[in-house]
Amino acid sequence: MSVFTSFATSKMAEELLLPQAISATLEILVNKALLLNQNKLLAIHTLLGKTLTVKVAELTFPLSFTVNAQATQTKVIVSSLTEGSECTILTSLSTLKKLKAEQQITQLIKQGELDVLGDVKIAQQFAVIAQSLDIDWQTELAKYIGDVPTHKILQFGGKVTRELAKHSTQVQADVGEYLVHEKRLVVTSSQIRGFNQQVSDVSNDVDRISERINKLALQLSTNK
Amino acid sequence: MSASDQTPPVNDTAIGEQTVLDDHNDSTTHFGYKTIDKEDKISMVAGVFHSVAKQYDVMNDLMSFGIHRLWKRFTIDASGVRPGNKVLDLAGGTGDLTAKFSQLVGREGKVILADINSSMLNVGRDKLRDKGLVQNIEYVQANAEYLPFEENTFDVVTIAFGLRNVTDKDKALRSIYSVLKPGGRLLVLEFSKPEHELLNKAYDFYSFNILPKMGEIVAKDGDSYQYLAESIRMHPDQETLKTMMDNAGFEQTSYKNLTGGVVALHKGYKF
Repeated sequence: MSVFTSFATSKMAEELLLPQAISATLEILVNKALLLNQNKLLAIHTLLGKTLTVKVAELTFPLSFTVNAQATQTKVIVSSLTEGSECTILTSLSTLKKLKAEQQITQLIKQGELDVLGDVKIAQQFAVIAQSLDIDWQTELAKYIGDVPTHKILQFGGKVTRELAKHSTQVQADVGEYLVHEKRLVVTSSQIRGFNQQVSDVSNDVDRISERINKLALQLSTNK
Repeated sequence: MSASDQTPPVNDTAIGEQTVLDDHNDSTTHFGYKTIDKEDKISMVAGVFHSVAKQYDVMNDLMSFGIHRLWKRFTIDASGVRPGNKVLDLAGGTGDLTAKFSQLVGREGKVILADINSSMLNVGRDKLRDKGLVQNIEYVQANAEYLPFEENTFDVVTIAFGLRNVTDKDKALRSIYSVLKPGGRLLVLEFSKPEHELLNKAYDFYSFNILPKMGEIVAKDGDSYQYLAESIRMHPDQETLKTMMDNAGFEQTSYKNLTGGVVALHKGYKF
């Protein structure tokens, strides 16, 4: 994730139009999800014309979600426009997942993991809609590859997910060990803090020496 | 035909340190690398777009590998458009920008899709209606040099891949300035000059060798895409266009190179 975020914030990402690529992909995914939704009571029409802006700490650009009615279908437009947004939430990628549960919003604000500017009801309504989406992935997949392969794939996927969940802590530790100590591809946060401290110490030492030299130079000039 | 065979006309004029391709002779202008009578340009450009209108979207996707969609998204993101705004999508062609603007300005807002070419306008209108976008869009066949709107009408004016086809660009910029509201902004998305020499050479090779062949196969019209490549080279570079916008009265003008300068988005305000 850190590799992705450091890339996403770079100037290169901007030149490669990454913000636009992300918003275009999100727009396709969100609208596809709305199209596949089977919950007929989904109250997205209550958000017609409303815009929710999400500012994620790891990204340099905002993502705005505007609900719009297009013929008989309700669509969501994703852009980086912040003008005219009724509600802006400031958060991090890790907190975004928790936002799906509407009841957690207040708790997250209290914990300082989430900041909401504007009409908090808009954020809550978006959260409710995300929570109420009901997509039958199995049926959708079966349309393309048939019932039996779908069943096998989902069975296998479920098994892999369960195994991964069981071993996730161990896998994380192993990957961390491999990247930090074995391959030395990344450094730990304590190493970064240590390095920053050393840089600060050197900077302070240089300042002190500079001050001392100035004093000595002053003394020499007054002795003359 | 190789890129090095392509020699622009020689009637260049130096302005400061930049070489600007002269587009301001009394009676002549450019049509690709050809010098023609100003009166003929409109009909010649019209001929190109009547010919390619039906395959325009497919060709855009093929020629740019789909990146034109991201360039247009970048333009939307830079527009600052909000619900209730009035937007003019000039030389709007098949309505890619209009479609997005229509959804962003909402029912209280309005988007005018204007194009000088009736074929492009018809294709754009059919496409947008098929998408169900009908409520807040109007269609106007108009010449960018003589915009048929009252002064101070629009919050945002965009012209995407259209300015280089306009006969008198300065006149068009002044006309746009006039119809913008105070505080409004103009966005010009247009092909420009790549920043790096290597990219420039690769781009030249692609434009003059592959593009016309693609046009011949897909749109059955290689000549129109040869014109496209030539008209891009004859279009003012980033700094020159910025100066032209300044001269037309725009303030806080700036530009942003996209995809290494293959395309640039120029922005200017009317205060």
